[in-house]
Amino acid sequence: MAKTIKVCTDNFGKGAQDIAVYKKLGGYTSISSRLFDLSQFEVIDMVKRSNLRGRGGAGFPTGLKWSFVPRHTGKPVYIVVNADEGEPGTFKDHFLMNEDPHRLIEGLIIAGWALGSRTAYIYVRGEFLPCIESLNKAISQAYVDGLLGENIGGTKFSFDIYVHRGAGAYICGEETALINSLEGKRGEPRLKPPFPAVSGAWKSPTCVNNVETLMALPWIFQNSPEAYAAIGTGCAGGTKVFCVSGDVKRTGVYEVPIGTPMMDLLNSPDYAGGIDGVLKGVIPGGSSCPVLLPEECEKATLDYECMISLNTMFGSGAVMPFNTTRDVVVLLNTLGNFYSHESCGQCTPCREGTGYAKRVINSILRGEGHDGDLELLLSLAEQYNGTTICPLAPALGQPMSAFINKYRSEFDAYIEKNPNHASPRISATHRPGAFW
Amino acid sequence: MSNYYNMPKLPTADSPQVAIFVDGKEVIVPGDTNLLEALKTIGIKTPHMCYHPHLPVAGNCRQCLVELEDLRGRTLVIACFTPVTPGMKVFTPSTSARVKNARKATSEFMLVNHPLDCPICDKAGECSLQENYMENGQESRLRPEVGKQYHGNPDNTFVDSKGQVRGGKRVALGPRITLDEERCVHCDRCVRFMRHVAGDEQLQLAARGDHTYIMTFPGQPLDHEYDLCVTDICPVGALTANHFRFQQRVWLLSRTPSISMDDSLGANIWIDHNNGKVWRLMPRCNPEVNRSWLSNTSRLAYLNFCKGRLAPGHLKVVVDLLKKSKKVALVAGGQCTLEDLAAFKMLKESLGDKAQMFGGTLRPIEAPDGIAKSGDSMANRAGFKCLGIPDNNLGDLIERASEFDVLLTVHNDIFGDSESAEALKKIPSRIVLSAFNDATAHAATLLWGVNHWSEVTGSMINSLQILQKLTAAPTSPNPELKPAYEVLSILAGKPLTSAISALQKVHEYVPALKPYSYENIRSTGVKLDGVLL
Amino acid sequence: MNIIQGAVHFVANNKLTFEKGPMPIKPYPSAANQVGHKNKLYPQPSMEEILPKLETPAVKVRIADLLSRYPEPQGALLEVLWVIQEVLGWVPRESIRWASKVCDCSPAHAYGVVTFYTMYKQVPTGRYLLQFCRNICCEQKGASGIIAYTEKALKIKTGETTPDGLFTIVQVECLGACGNAPVMLVNDEFATDVEGGKLTMRDGITLTPERVDKILKWCYDRSEKYEEEPVRDALGGTLVGHKGHPGAPGSSAKPQEMDYAPACPVLGLKAVAEKSGVTLTWKNAPEFTHLVVERADGSSWKKVGEPSVKDKEFIDPTGLAGMAYRMIATSGDRVAKPSTEEKAV
Repeated sequence: MAKTIKVCTDNFGKGAQDIAVYKKLGGYTSISSRLFDLSQFEVIDMVKRSNLRGRGGAGFPTGLKWSFVPRHTGKPVYIVVNADEGEPGTFKDHFLMNEDPHRLIEGLIIAGWALGSRTAYIYVRGEFLPCIESLNKAISQAYVDGLLGENIGGTKFSFDIYVHRGAGAYICGEETALINSLEGKRGEPRLKPPFPAVSGAWKSPTCVNNVETLMALPWIFQNSPEAYAAIGTGCAGGTKVFCVSGDVKRTGVYEVPIGTPMMDLLNSPDYAGGIDGVLKGVIPGGSSCPVLLPEECEKATLDYECMISLNTMFGSGAVMPFNTTRDVVVLLNTLGNFYSHESCGQCTPCREGTGYAKRVINSILRGEGHDGDLELLLSLAEQYNGTTICPLAPALGQPMSAFINKYRSEFDAYIEKNPNHASPRISATHRPGAFW
Repeated sequence: MSNYYNMPKLPTADSPQVAIFVDGKEVIVPGDTNLLEALKTIGIKTPHMCYHPHLPVAGNCRQCLVELEDLRGRTLVIACFTPVTPGMKVFTPSTSARVKNARKATSEFMLVNHPLDCPICDKAGECSLQENYMENGQESRLRPEVGKQYHGNPDNTFVDSKGQVRGGKRVALGPRITLDEERCVHCDRCVRFMRHVAGDEQLQLAARGDHTYIMTFPGQPLDHEYDLCVTDICPVGALTANHFRFQQRVWLLSRTPSISMDDSLGANIWIDHNNGKVWRLMPRCNPEVNRSWLSNTSRLAYLNFCKGRLAPGHLKVVVDLLKKSKKVALVAGGQCTLEDLAAFKMLKESLGDKAQMFGGTLRPIEAPDGIAKSGDSMANRAGFKCLGIPDNNLGDLIERASEFDVLLTVHNDIFGDSESAEALKKIPSRIVLSAFNDATAHAATLLWGVNHWSEVTGSMINSLQILQKLTAAPTSPNPELKPAYEVLSILAGKPLTSAISALQKVHEYVPALKPYSYENIRSTGVKLDGVLL
Repeated sequence: MNIIQGAVHFVANNKLTFEKGPMPIKPYPSAANQVGHKNKLYPQPSMEEILPKLETPAVKVRIADLLSRYPEPQGALLEVLWVIQEVLGWVPRESIRWASKVCDCSPAHAYGVVTFYTMYKQVPTGRYLLQFCRNICCEQKGASGIIAYTEKALKIKTGETTPDGLFTIVQVECLGACGNAPVMLVNDEFATDVEGGKLTMRDGITLTPERVDKILKWCYDRSEKYEEEPVRDALGGTLVGHKGHPGAPGSSAKPQEMDYAPACPVLGLKAVAEKSGVTLTWKNAPEFTHLVVERADGSSWKKVGEPSVKDKEFIDPTGLAGMAYRMIATSGDRVAKPSTEEKAV
């Protein structure tokens, strides 16, 4: 059974939005007691030793990412917090920022000290206005308390945090798109290299971190990096905040150590409290991750390696079980709508391909599917892979092929609703040139 | 959008040569460029839409995919954004089925919402999409009824007689450009051109996903000195120029490489002509001069090439006049080629001390715009200097006009300005060699029509000291018209009947130019040594 | 004969015929076709009409504050557009031009930005914009039923506004509150219930038809209570105490000073005794400019070598097991505290 160590969610429900309460709960001690005696390299070394991996989805080791940020380039270093939480099924950052904004600020100050940053931006998605209000209040309190601004704590270190409100684009969760959006441009992902660590916002070194990643830092400082690493598995340290939604008894945000079996999270009375109905499948990691069948869920543990071995992804920590009453064609249809709506429109395969897939799935759902449609969708999924700038199109392709392969009979049943399903949609002699 | 500051590095003559493996074979390519350019040097054409050598790389069309093998295995990468590294292993469609399929898929995706109206498309024949489709695709598994669902600028969409939602077909984007929204493939070349080259972001993509469309700010027309360049770089028939729209099918046009003599940068151009008529001028790529750009002024100059042309004059009258004259002012204009100037010098020599040479322009010299104009309308100014002909003493002529009794101008509109016209009219005999019936022609006492620069073969030296050659396009409105050098040499008494003989005369005057004949002046010109001038 | 439908096909005399098939492309209620990035044409106010509302002292102060936060004015574009939406209720075209002037970018760029993001309203909406999530979690838990119920209750379709101008229904993609699925946003507030006269979203509470009714009633009550909807700061309140981004217009902040942190000591020192002497290894840091290895010599420390900053190891040929070593790093003119003492093993 999982240990009950809470790294990020410890202050939930304790009114930690106020700086006095947060300090009473042990907040900001890492800054007042330790941070200013440490050199930048020591802080990065601590993060490396803690085995903390990015919590946004890709799982890149945070310490390593920080060590890529060049110093003394003559340009300012920016830290950008990725709070553009848009992945369907994920809502942890929403709660984390609402409940405990000061922990994020504390984590940011630690990151700012380590990276030599002067300015940090918290890019919050536009829908989270309550979070922005809570953050702005907390940041103002931190300014009053002398934790932000110029010459913090009598040192030569100056640091500012601003909240940037996004305006509704899922793609801005991709770090280079987020940087473009921060620069006041259309949120289109950039070509890499150069990576943001070298040339990001305003062509300056930029470190983009997830909210939860930064919120783990105060705990690592108060305890020790080794203690944090010891919680998780060998490949990733610490705990992870999981967002359980869908058909469980108690949906919500639960923090468990990395490596916990998935069914423990779903069935434990401390957490989700069991499945509502009979389990049909689980989408782990957010909507971009391929679905798992119940027998795979039994084997699954919540860590990066196990998820990769099951051909899915750890992702951003969403766990979405659905029961046997749910229709997978409907679920896939929502994904098709979502990804075609959120494609930025840069790359051809994504711009045209996601819309195309959406229309095929729509027609299957309406009972107008034809034989061969599923093969078409599978081949589309293959064609998204590796052909685009960012992983948005594959993020539709992967769950699409998983849904079709794992629940094929249900899709076939929909196609058979079409009385003409056996006839081809179009003649073999058709030439596209004749259509318009 | 992407990182709009990453300009592609193009191979040069001094590029380091590195060995890479293409389809398992070792080849030597330039080492400081991208894979697309490197493959081009060994004769492998990589289809592309968004990549343009003189625009920042956007990498959004995904048409130029190749496979790259490294430690992690084979991955698909875009050739336009992959730098060449020694020893890299590249696979093109000829050996990799994955690349072939990926390119085909991209081509199909592009056609999902692209109207297949090639027969009525103005770009047919020079459309990248058409070419790529013929190369990669040719059969489509995508099904049009589900596939086509056009979204786009809601201001212009309409429903056609078949119930299909259509995009705007004739959107007036500006005074010179018409947009067909359906045909746009969102390569954003035009956006990058306006932002990065023209420096005025008048075009932008609006909306997102498959709703994306190209627009200017609503109600604000696209208007810029270089806006017609977006019609050149548009890989499909989305942006078309009003002046050329539906004038000619491009495969009927013949192309003659030449130089625009409007400006001392000497922008390299193609003269596209058919049936003895110029239909358009297109920029000809020259990385050192005008890259791929051409100003509207130079581009639209062709509209006047056949307007107000003069007929040839009578030889004897002019010869007699020159013989009788006491003091002759010979005035050459900036549009004279080196050949014209050599003949001009011959004439001066034949007249001896009673003749004096003048040159220059009365138009103000503007600052270079950094794109395809130097701002100096005297195109061959460097050629004047090279041949030792004064290039800026018109003021002197106007001051001393009363000293002369004969004035002979070649390709120089010096009567355009009323003040100078007043002074110059004091010269009793005014012989004008000109292509057009301009103000100077009006003021002439003797007129002699000659060939326009688009109709002559010759050479010029531009403001960057690059020797460039002009090729005659067969578009002369009157077969009896002669190039200016021929007329001048006849007046000088030693007729030069061909451009080659005129060039030999240039070589006589300037021995340093001897190595350069029409055969060995490259299409992009020859950079001359500064010492020469 | 298999009749080919829905396509043009060639017939023997080479004439084209077109048979319209039985499968027209039905428009699916896509979020894209609603208030979002695709809008019907709407009469646009002129610059003269909107300028008096935008160029007020309060807005000027806020915009100056926003501009001071970013190194380039264009960075504030999204935020300036939010301010416009807060002041005008929507983002008319002329206000986009105004924003582009404020943020020093071209109007076309600003228009491209506005249309890229879905939360800028390019048409006015009802006083209460009801945004229903219809993504995978919410759909799974019955979002379409809730949306249909609301549509019926308000007698409007998605994308429409009630005749009294109170409500507009929109379907949006994931709202990031999947634990409460299905959820909705009422203007900027997450709502699954009404408690104590406030919209709330508590753990585990999801939208049901009854709760939708409660929320609608809350809206009606509020519209009676307030003549106009109270303005909610679109940027989540003011931020006090900051001085802006160094170098930004209106900013008095100074840039980060170099070397604010203590110099970095040598970390991860390991000493291994072998026949050839003691081999020291350590973690290199990019900021090191000089390194000194010292060996314990009684109570004092004696310098035994100065490895280059690029070296990966240092061998003390005279070293023996049991000897204590430490290293001192220098970064520029700052000398770091000595590393931990390591006994050679």
